Amino acid sequence: MDKPYKLLIIDDEAEILATFNNFFREKKYDVLSASNGLDALKLIESEEEGFDLIVTDLVLPNIGGTAIIKIAKKKWPEMPIIAMTGWGEHPQALAREAQADLVLNKPFDLFTLEQNIIELIEK
Amino acid sequence: MPMKIPLIGVSAEIEKIRDLIKHVADTGLNVVITGESGVGKEVVAQNLYHASPRKGKPFIKINCAALPDGLLESELFGYEPGAFTGAVRKKKGRFELANKGVLFLDEIGEMSNMLQAKLLHVLQSGEYAPLGSERECKTDTWVIAASNRRLEEDIKDGIFRKDLYYRLSTIKIHIPPLRERPEDIPYLIDFYLSQYNPLFNKKKTDKLDQKILNIFMEYSWPGNVRELQNLLKRFIVMGDYDEVANEILYRKSMAEDLISNEIPTKELPESPDLTDKNFINFSDFSSLSLKEIKKKATDHAEKGAISYVLGKTNWNRSKAAKILKISYKTLLVKISELEIKAQ
Repeated sequence: MDKPYKLLIIDDEAEILATFNNFFREKKYDVLSASNGLDALKLIESEEEGFDLIVTDLVLPNIGGTAIIKIAKKKWPEMPIIAMTGWGEHPQALAREAQADLVLNKPFDLFTLEQNIIELIEK
Repeated sequence: MPMKIPLIGVSAEIEKIRDLIKHVADTGLNVVITGESGVGKEVVAQNLYHASPRKGKPFIKINCAALPDGLLESELFGYEPGAFTGAVRKKKGRFELANKGVLFLDEIGEMSNMLQAKLLHVLQSGEYAPLGSERECKTDTWVIAASNRRLEEDIKDGIFRKDLYYRLSTIKIHIPPLRERPEDIPYLIDFYLSQYNPLFNKKKTDKLDQKILNIFMEYSWPGNVRELQNLLKRFIVMGDYDEVANEILYRKSMAEDLISNEIPTKELPESPDLTDKNFINFSDFSSLSLKEIKKKATDHAEKGAISYVLGKTNWNRSKAAKILKISYKTLLVKISELEIKAQ
């Protein structure tokens, strides 16, 4: 890629967030991250050009993933969003209704995630 | 339009809530506000409303615990003439009244399963049908719900619908109890005294001295901000901080007494559920006057409270009378009238 893709990654588990961060930074992506919905919303509000893609967990403290998806899609309708859910009891239907482009069940491997990211951005 | 009451406090938790309100108020996404009784859930809801583009439109409130199921349903959705016996004319529901504005559903955790399903339908489709009506009405209402229950626990227990919870809790705001943020207490005192003082027009309120302030700050405030408000109102009337401080110390000692009297080997009664509506069958409205219903409800609540305190004090009647703030004689009369027996 000429210009690195800019990602926003949101997850409240510090370990997962750090792993994602390291993985994508090493692959020369431009990565911003947030560990709760409010911090993510602030990044979305202050970002003018937008991101190439957002990856968000659905269950987050204060502002949930579905809210983040709705707010981000309102600002940038074309920007793809990947929602992550875990443990089989999370509101996947809501994520789709909130227009997530893809819903991934945890756990998944990072190479699959990267492949999905590239496909969605370059679609 | 509700009066705008600011969110008072300097604790990190309150700052965070203010920040959240600022950022989510214009999204129109459903909000659930949780926290113990008296922490100020309605104040947060009003602040959300005032910070939103819906400000100036209706702010309609309903307490889901205050009404039996059938009444709550007709309050929420309204009805058409002839929907049931006695429905002579059309009644607008709260969803209709709150159109374009905010509907604040307090004590959402008390809603029956049947109504939870109906509420979910409105949230999913933006439509509802008044009782007795064949057509669905559109509604554009921002739903803000509140609960003092742990809804996530209620989901596990099967009392609260998971799908409804997910839909309502797109945004979650939790207000911690006052005992976890004592640094807010001096600011709350200042605010409410300045609010009440012109109202009561009594003696000028002096600044609290540190000793008394410490008593305020070390108390656990089980009734949270509402308990503090009520005590401050009393202070305004009495005009004496020592009296209020003594009252706090008294409440504290009573609470400690209760704890030290818990006897683990003996089975204690469950904390009474004074809102339990099952003691009366609301379908026989026709056979009971409102006065009789009131009497039944009072008896039920009194019996629950007295049995509970007697259980906790191991049937020490004079101690129980003190805790209940009634005379020993009154307690004995109540025990016999309400047929309260040791378990």
